[in-house]
Amino acid sequence: MQVTLAHLKRGERAIIVDVSSINIPLKLLEMGCLPGNEVELVQVAPFSDPMYLNINGTHLAIRKETAIHIIIEITNE
Amino acid sequence: MSKQINVALIGNPNTGKTSVFNSLTGLNQKVGNYPGITVEKKEGICKLPRGVKAHIIDLPGTYSLNASSLDENVVIELLLNKNDKDFPDVAVVVSDVENLKRNLLLFTQIKDLEIPTVLVINMSDRMKYKGISLDIPYLESQLQTKIALVSTRKNEGIDNLKTLISNYKELSITPCLNASEIDKEYFDNLRKAFPNQLLYKLWLVITQDVNFGKTDRNEIDAVADFKTKTKADLKRLQQKETIKRYQFINNTLKKGQTIDLSTAKDLRIKLDRILTHKIWGYAIFLVILLTIFQAIYDWSAIPMDFIDSSFASLSEWTKNSLPEGAFTSLLAEGIIPGLGGIVIFIPQIAFLFLFISVLEESGYMSRVVFLMDRGMRRFGLSGKSVVPLISGTACAIPAIMATRNIESWKERLITILVTPFTTCSARLPVYLIIISLVIPEGRFLGLGYQALTLMLLYLIGFGAALISAMILNKVLKIKSKSFFVVEMPNYKLPLIKNVALTVVEKTKSFVFGAGKIILAISIVLWFLASYGPGEEFNNAEEIVTEKFASKHLTEEELQNEIASQKLEYSFIGLTGRAIEPAIRPLGYDWKIGIAIVSSFAAREVFVGTLATIYSVGSDEEETIKNRMAGEVNPILGGPLFNFASGISLLLFYAFAMQCMSTLAIVKRETNSWKWPILQLVLMSVFAYVVAFIAFQILI
Amino acid sequence: MNHLLQNILAFTLLFLALGFLVKKFFWKNSKPTKDIGKHDCDNCH
Repeated sequence: MQVTLAHLKRGERAIIVDVSSINIPLKLLEMGCLPGNEVELVQVAPFSDPMYLNINGTHLAIRKETAIHIIIEITNE
Repeated sequence: MSKQINVALIGNPNTGKTSVFNSLTGLNQKVGNYPGITVEKKEGICKLPRGVKAHIIDLPGTYSLNASSLDENVVIELLLNKNDKDFPDVAVVVSDVENLKRNLLLFTQIKDLEIPTVLVINMSDRMKYKGISLDIPYLESQLQTKIALVSTRKNEGIDNLKTLISNYKELSITPCLNASEIDKEYFDNLRKAFPNQLLYKLWLVITQDVNFGKTDRNEIDAVADFKTKTKADLKRLQQKETIKRYQFINNTLKKGQTIDLSTAKDLRIKLDRILTHKIWGYAIFLVILLTIFQAIYDWSAIPMDFIDSSFASLSEWTKNSLPEGAFTSLLAEGIIPGLGGIVIFIPQIAFLFLFISVLEESGYMSRVVFLMDRGMRRFGLSGKSVVPLISGTACAIPAIMATRNIESWKERLITILVTPFTTCSARLPVYLIIISLVIPEGRFLGLGYQALTLMLLYLIGFGAALISAMILNKVLKIKSKSFFVVEMPNYKLPLIKNVALTVVEKTKSFVFGAGKIILAISIVLWFLASYGPGEEFNNAEEIVTEKFASKHLTEEELQNEIASQKLEYSFIGLTGRAIEPAIRPLGYDWKIGIAIVSSFAAREVFVGTLATIYSVGSDEEETIKNRMAGEVNPILGGPLFNFASGISLLLFYAFAMQCMSTLAIVKRETNSWKWPILQLVLMSVFAYVVAFIAFQILI
Repeated sequence: MNHLLQNILAFTLLFLALGFLVKKFFWKNSKPTKDIGKHDCDNCH
């Protein structure tokens, strides 16, 4: 099932399927947010925003407004 | 002949790049976990084997050559400009063993510029702990470079690195990625148009919005073909480039690196579970903040009292031991109190930077950014604004410089504009002395009224910053995409050496930066208070003696009358009286007026000015506080510093923009006079109005 | 004589202090500072 990264729940893992490059800062891509990479939600702040992610070993935080532009496929519950 | 070679240290933030720099040069500087802490250009000299000397530049941390912040521009501007005197003969890319994959992205980009490059894999002491093993010869052959495994924490591998740097001529300059793989047709055209240029360099010049040399950019723009690509197209190509690079890196690491997850231990998961928790995270942050404030007020009180009394006795001693004359008076009444006014800040500033640097070094600061982002966004700020706002409690100048890593220009500008509202340490002496004069000593719920007032003033400062941010967010019509990407680095035990160096360095820069200004101003003030034009000043003794001839004053009382007559008609007294009509509605007299005017240079000058004004011509060793308490309001009668005028003064200092250095920094950071002038006018008018209302209501 | 010396010393300090303040606040910065503010950060993402 394909959803946006904003739907990922804590502890879940997913594979990045597609990123809409227009709406995503290049910096995020360079930090490993690329199709095919694995992503895990480590922690969320209140209202699930920002999101603390582990993308392929790189730990970073992004806002929900950015996360909705990243399409993922959840691999485990 | 031994030529000096240029070495550029480049790397991602949080890789310990600055630690490597310190190890190489011995010239110690700061190591930070917070992105963007290495802002200034740092240089050092390192002696290499065989008598070669290397000139080393520590460039700002960057994730790639695609600059997304002001600091990162510095890196790319240097690497693309062969004519720069610092253009490196050899680049040293510092990577962190735990984030090798991401770090290698930057490495491949630099390699593609055909600059000889050495790869440093830092923090090698963590390999075992993390279950990582590396096949160095394989990596060296794939990446066509030399690798130095370094642990700055254990001081290992530095000599090997020095040898590799000195043999830079043997390094291969073969690129990692063939640029035309990104888009064959486009790059073929490029090559035809500029046969002598490096393709990847051209590509960077096209995609980056920075100033290079003079020619490159215009030349390329002149060839119409390359304008056809839209921004979106270019970005798609940049994404493709990134993917290609990661493919290369993944292939290399697949064989060159093995990670045994079973032996890896992870402390960060456990710590993050608590420190970024929805409730506990905030509770812990609050406790840390309270501890910092407690330290700044409570723990530093003892050294501060000591400094205060030492300078008072030194001044007294000088006056008694040196021969009488203008120079002795200047020393005892101008310079020594002026110096005391600087030294007294040292304990507080040292404590504040101690905490800030520990929080940054440990990696906790990024967690604060994460926790606070949502709340700050409501006010048009970013989670990254928290660090400037907290640093602002020390000094607005480093705080405003710390805004450089906020990606959105609007959020950054708002942060710069509101930071001066936070209660900086220069306001503190003003607050402390006025509070002790006008706020009674009683207690409420176990807390002293005075301490509560101080806390309230801090809250007012933060409140004013947040509310004005909200207003600016509505008013400023700047279209700005707000991107927010924060790396959450691993937790690290701060290196005591690094923390100590930061504290010493920041304190030193305060003492010698702000201190010089305060000292110079107190010298000038002393002259203005000790000399005057006209009869009333020069013949003060006769005038006063005549005036009080019938009153039979003691010698001491007579001397005091003469001193105050002189002060009133000195240059400073005349100035103060000229502006008195403007400040009388706020409850101030001309002496306070002078102090306010002089503190537009720097707030802390206020107490120093009053100290100078009150100590000129007086003999007894008496604290400034007692003298201030004895002042009488010339018009209304009663003590000059009463509740109404005291509160009015406190509020004036809370809101007024009285710091030339901050204005200068704002000018530099926004590259326009518009913002600092706006800041000065709006804040000062607001301060005046609030102080006026407060005094008129309370009187 | 002693008085004269004291005055000379004191005024020397005054001029040093004035010179420093004037240089600090009214002198154009002799070092050319980089135009960092010109750069629009939003365009480089």
